[in-house]
Amino acid sequence: MNFNLTKEQSLLQAMARDFAEKRLEPIARQIDEENQIPAEILTEMGELELLGIPIGEEYGGAAGGYDGYVLVMEQISRVSGGVAMTMAAHTLGLGALEKFGTEEQKQKYLPDACKGKTIASFAFTEPGTGSDPKQLTSTAVKDGDFYIINGTKRFISNANQPGPCVVFARESESGEVTAFIVDKGCAGYSISEPWAKIGMKGGVLTDIYMENIKVPAQNLLGKLGQGFPILLYGIALGKIGTSTASLGGTLAALEEAVKYVKEKTHRGAPIAKFQAIQLKIADLKIKYETSRWLCYRLGCIANDIKDPGAFAAEAALAKAYCGDTVVEAAKIAMDAHGSYGLMKDYNIERILRDALIGPEIEGVTDMQKMIVAGSVLKG
Amino acid sequence: MNIVVAMKQIPDLQQIRIRQRQPVLDGVPAALGIIDKNALEAAVLLKEEEGGQVIVLSAGNEEVEETVKEALAAGADQAFLVLDDSIENADGSLKAPILAEAIKKIDDVGLILFGEGSGDNYSGQLGSRVAELLGLPQVGYASRIQIQDSQAIITRSLEDGDELVKVTMPVVVSVLGDINEPRIPSVTQILKAGRKPKEVLELDELELDLSGLPQIKTLSNLAPETNRKQVKVGSVEELIQALKTEGVI
Repeated sequence: MNFNLTKEQSLLQAMARDFAEKRLEPIARQIDEENQIPAEILTEMGELELLGIPIGEEYGGAAGGYDGYVLVMEQISRVSGGVAMTMAAHTLGLGALEKFGTEEQKQKYLPDACKGKTIASFAFTEPGTGSDPKQLTSTAVKDGDFYIINGTKRFISNANQPGPCVVFARESESGEVTAFIVDKGCAGYSISEPWAKIGMKGGVLTDIYMENIKVPAQNLLGKLGQGFPILLYGIALGKIGTSTASLGGTLAALEEAVKYVKEKTHRGAPIAKFQAIQLKIADLKIKYETSRWLCYRLGCIANDIKDPGAFAAEAALAKAYCGDTVVEAAKIAMDAHGSYGLMKDYNIERILRDALIGPEIEGVTDMQKMIVAGSVLKG
Repeated sequence: MNIVVAMKQIPDLQQIRIRQRQPVLDGVPAALGIIDKNALEAAVLLKEEEGGQVIVLSAGNEEVEETVKEALAAGADQAFLVLDDSIENADGSLKAPILAEAIKKIDDVGLILFGEGSGDNYSGQLGSRVAELLGLPQVGYASRIQIQDSQAIITRSLEDGDELVKVTMPVVVSVLGDINEPRIPSVTQILKAGRKPKEVLELDELELDLSGLPQIKTLSNLAPETNRKQVKVGSVEELIQALKTEGVI
């Protein structure tokens, strides 16, 4: 058991922090206010290979593993929840394509996506489905060498960006849930206005409207009827991103609180001298460290998933804990700021709004706990 | 042409804490000097324009072998290291002959770049000492370097203006921190840094007699004492008056 980072991992972490501080921090508030990431940011992230970290080099990725991905994601999310959310959904889509795609599909979609020339999406949720694939209503009807896809997808990240979208629909002949690769922006593809969500702004969520989208049969991902395992695998991969985005928020809460309590004085002394404040700092540190090691471990085991079911339970555990913890941490840090924390002049205001996204996306915390309990109680 | 960049391993300055005016170095990871990174970036930019190889040169304890990966990730093609625990805290008078001897072992050296001062002690001596030992010209305070045939055209930023000098290579150049902004390395540059070639020498492989050289012993290393006046003001007028009293405005 070795809990130390290698030199390369330390450098990767430092590089991501450097990028986040130099490029994202100056515009983090702008991204939040405009709900938009400047295109040049995604371009530079592509050039630095931050958009294909765990993907193999043969497909244009950096082959940095999911352990490398969590080290980077933590630092990105520490500064901008919106950029982290975009990166998480993108990497989830790429992970599913790499795992289940044919060689032709991988060569077609992954290199451009790893370079940031395209941004990927993963579209399962529908207005009536929640997390239950049995409720899926989107349809795919075979028509010669094509499938005709119809339906509506809800709360889809990056749907406004060109690139591949993994879409789940019920194949009409078999009645089975099946995954397809849809080129966003193709004929029949349209999106709603972005949802005006509370936090992680810049990570744009829209609905997708699919009206007679004609998808070549070779864009079927995996096998006919394999949609459910692809969905479970993809969602589990997605929880690496969402858990670590929460971890980055917890780190941000800790650092903002520490900075504030050292600067803010009461009767001539920094409020950090008071035990009531020190207890908050200790709580924040404990929450950060416990979240950190869960995420780092999840990244390590994701590099070699032998049992997808067991991995899904690990991912659910990390997601449940880190998602709830970032909200608690952000609230503690805001309490340390007092009234000032409510103001947009202080980062903690945005950090708390971003934190609230964590427990709700990619399956709410209670859903994660059901998966964890199922894995503990089975047999 | 090879460009040698001398880089020093120092404690990561951002992680040093001060306790009772003493720096606490326990558990502080090693890093490369800040201005040394500017020197490396200058070398990489020249290589991209003119070709050649960038060789990072460092002398220190065994940890340097890991620390130098930062330079290899940032664009150096290979590393040339002299490792010995005894030179971990060696001052410039000891480091200079070690680096000079090491440079003699590298072929086709056109430029030898240093940061203007190290990130920890900032004595700013090493470039001049190495140039003297190698019998090479030295140019300091460089804010721009261009190559033209066998000559380097260097802009020196001095207090009262810029000076443009033309010097025949090989030459030792010490660069300023504002010569450039080091680029952010990509993920694969970092992950593959450890696979780049490294030549490692032990100190006794250099034909050096260091016994007669003066050694500087650091007696103490204290953070500056700050005495805040803690003048309280109740209005802008009072603030202006207080600043005038102090001679600030």
